[in-house]
Amino acid sequence: MSALRRLFGLGAAVPASGEIAEAGYQKWVIEPVRVGLIARARELWRYRRILWFLAERRIKDRYEDTTLGIFWLFARPLMPIFISTIIFGRFLGVPSDGVPYFLFFLAGSSCWRIFERSVQWVTRSLDQNRGLIKKVYFPRLIAPISSVAPAVTEGGILLTLLVLASVFYYFHDGVFYLRIGLPIVAALVAVAMAMLLAISVGLWSSVLQVKHRDVQYSIRYFTQLWQYVTPVFFPLSSVPPKYHLAFFINPMTPIVEMYKWGLLGIGEFPGIELALGVGVMLLIFGTGIVYFNNSEAASVDRL
Amino acid sequence: MDSLVVDGLGKCYVLARETESKATRSFWQRLKSPLGADPAGVAREYWALKDVSFRVEPGTILGVIGPNGAGKTTLLKILARVITPTTGRVVGVGRVVSLLELGAGFDPDMPARENILMNAAIVGITRHEAQERIPEILEFAEVEQFVSSPLRHYSSGMYLRLAFSVAIHMNPQILLADEILAVGDSGFQERCLQKVTELGRRGLTVLFVSHDMDAILRICNRVMWLNRGELRKAGDPEEVVDEYQNAVWSEADIAPSERGRRSNRLAEILTVRLVSAAGRDIGGAPASEDVFIKIRFRTVRPNLLVKCALDLATRGTLIFRTSDAELRPLRDAGVYEALARIPRDLLAELTYVATVGCIFRKEDEPKEFPLLVYNALSFMVYATEQPDIPTSGRLDRVGVIAPRLEWTVREEVQVVRA
Repeated sequence: MSALRRLFGLGAAVPASGEIAEAGYQKWVIEPVRVGLIARARELWRYRRILWFLAERRIKDRYEDTTLGIFWLFARPLMPIFISTIIFGRFLGVPSDGVPYFLFFLAGSSCWRIFERSVQWVTRSLDQNRGLIKKVYFPRLIAPISSVAPAVTEGGILLTLLVLASVFYYFHDGVFYLRIGLPIVAALVAVAMAMLLAISVGLWSSVLQVKHRDVQYSIRYFTQLWQYVTPVFFPLSSVPPKYHLAFFINPMTPIVEMYKWGLLGIGEFPGIELALGVGVMLLIFGTGIVYFNNSEAASVDRL
Repeated sequence: MDSLVVDGLGKCYVLARETESKATRSFWQRLKSPLGADPAGVAREYWALKDVSFRVEPGTILGVIGPNGAGKTTLLKILARVITPTTGRVVGVGRVVSLLELGAGFDPDMPARENILMNAAIVGITRHEAQERIPEILEFAEVEQFVSSPLRHYSSGMYLRLAFSVAIHMNPQILLADEILAVGDSGFQERCLQKVTELGRRGLTVLFVSHDMDAILRICNRVMWLNRGELRKAGDPEEVVDEYQNAVWSEADIAPSERGRRSNRLAEILTVRLVSAAGRDIGGAPASEDVFIKIRFRTVRPNLLVKCALDLATRGTLIFRTSDAELRPLRDAGVYEALARIPRDLLAELTYVATVGCIFRKEDEPKEFPLLVYNALSFMVYATEQPDIPTSGRLDRVGVIAPRLEWTVREEVQVVRA
């Protein structure tokens, strides 16, 4: 019980927030055992402004050397999608729940990309911010959180493409496939969840990356495999029911499904599956926070 | 009410033995402890700081002195919360601002403005409040005309001025300054020291790490001497500095290194220092002045010959090795000092690490007895001149050294043939 209390900082030996010293200044304590989670969360909030600076910096890192400019930003993600559309949609005839395969795949992959790229950036987050981490103090958790920023911009680019493509299909087929209305909120929630899941995974991988430099390559491999148990380039309806369990233990499945449902109105809103996915996600997130928190000091020493 | 109470503070690093570093651990060993520390027996503990306790009252300017590897920087880094202590506890009051290293917390690709805002965010000042302070900060740093150029175009002197100015304008109650004030032209150094003294009178607590005993004696009202991670003496500045300097004269103060050899049966290397032309210990080298690397050694036999050598490295790369051109005779047993002059305008604005070696031999025997101290000294070279804005960057001197060569430009003489 005392371990649990310490973990959550309930009885931690920190002055309660707002305990003000005589001179009117805040009193602080530094101890080998870091304070509990509640105190950390409060601290995170106090330091929230740094988040934007780090996020901005990561986005700059990502796009600074793009010489072809805006054209390239759009052309690069489009190329693999065109190829996949031809191979899966045309040659193999993968079903797409009644919308053009191109739109179907664009929707699935924009959600997946946000997740996949976030995981990659978050994994390297401690490394990439080491200049700052080794010199000044801020809650280290800000590093992984801010690192999803470039992935969000990338997802945004894909989403723009999706809107443009829908407009094209409107003139081509006379059908506007995008949903307009409240279900869009479900798509946004899905994006937020994809990011949170990426951060949860990243809490583990970023610490491991500091210890073992090759984690960033294994994680890329790992996410590639992960994509195959997520309905990104095929609809869930084409998966035989006996494999469904494997798909729904994976929290990305309901997220991608919810995203597609919200955006294109295809598939079904994943109810129970979503609850299961959220459960798995919270498990990864909770253990990740504890792991990150406990490894923080050692990670900084090692950086 | 104390401003800072440090109680039993210690920091232990677990070092992997070099021969059994990660790369050479077998697959099986890794499998057995994939995530944890190295298996028992391979790891070795190193206490960078050991059971240090002290109290500081508000308004104290506490000088922290001690040889390299004494734990001064570790102490400051713990107080700045960059690293977590292994033992002990610190209780402090008020905002802590640190100047640990030149450029720490600054992004060289961003202009001064953005950097000020980011630093304000780090210490927890609102954007609005920070924006109001920008003109003041720029004015004190004397960099108003360079607000919009990215910091990488700044000289190290300008960098320092900005860093110091940002730090003191963040309204700290505790300021941690590591050696950094040793850098910078004497005019600005003077202003820094004055400012620190003034803020000290208004209740600012300063921890000031320096090798510059003049500066320590001028501004500190208490001095703490660390040696090999332990608090050796604290108290009245004159007293502690005197005792420290006497000790330095009589004993070796180089932290024991894994490799290398500091003493043999003929002699012992005592200290390796960077000194100015005036013979004063300095922490950084002004690019526009000659500086000297001073190796002090003690011989235990008469009639020896010595030849000293020096490796200068930066960013992990050896820049050059240079040695004395001749064997010098050492008549009596005693303490000697060897000085190597590093000419001005040779080194670039970087941090250099010197490894020194001396070869001793008896006059009548050819057998040589080498001594070697790895990474005996690290120092930063700083320039104080402002960059040439019209050609900014492109024509600067870049590279691991930056010698100024002698240039002449003249019109070609036309040879007219009759």
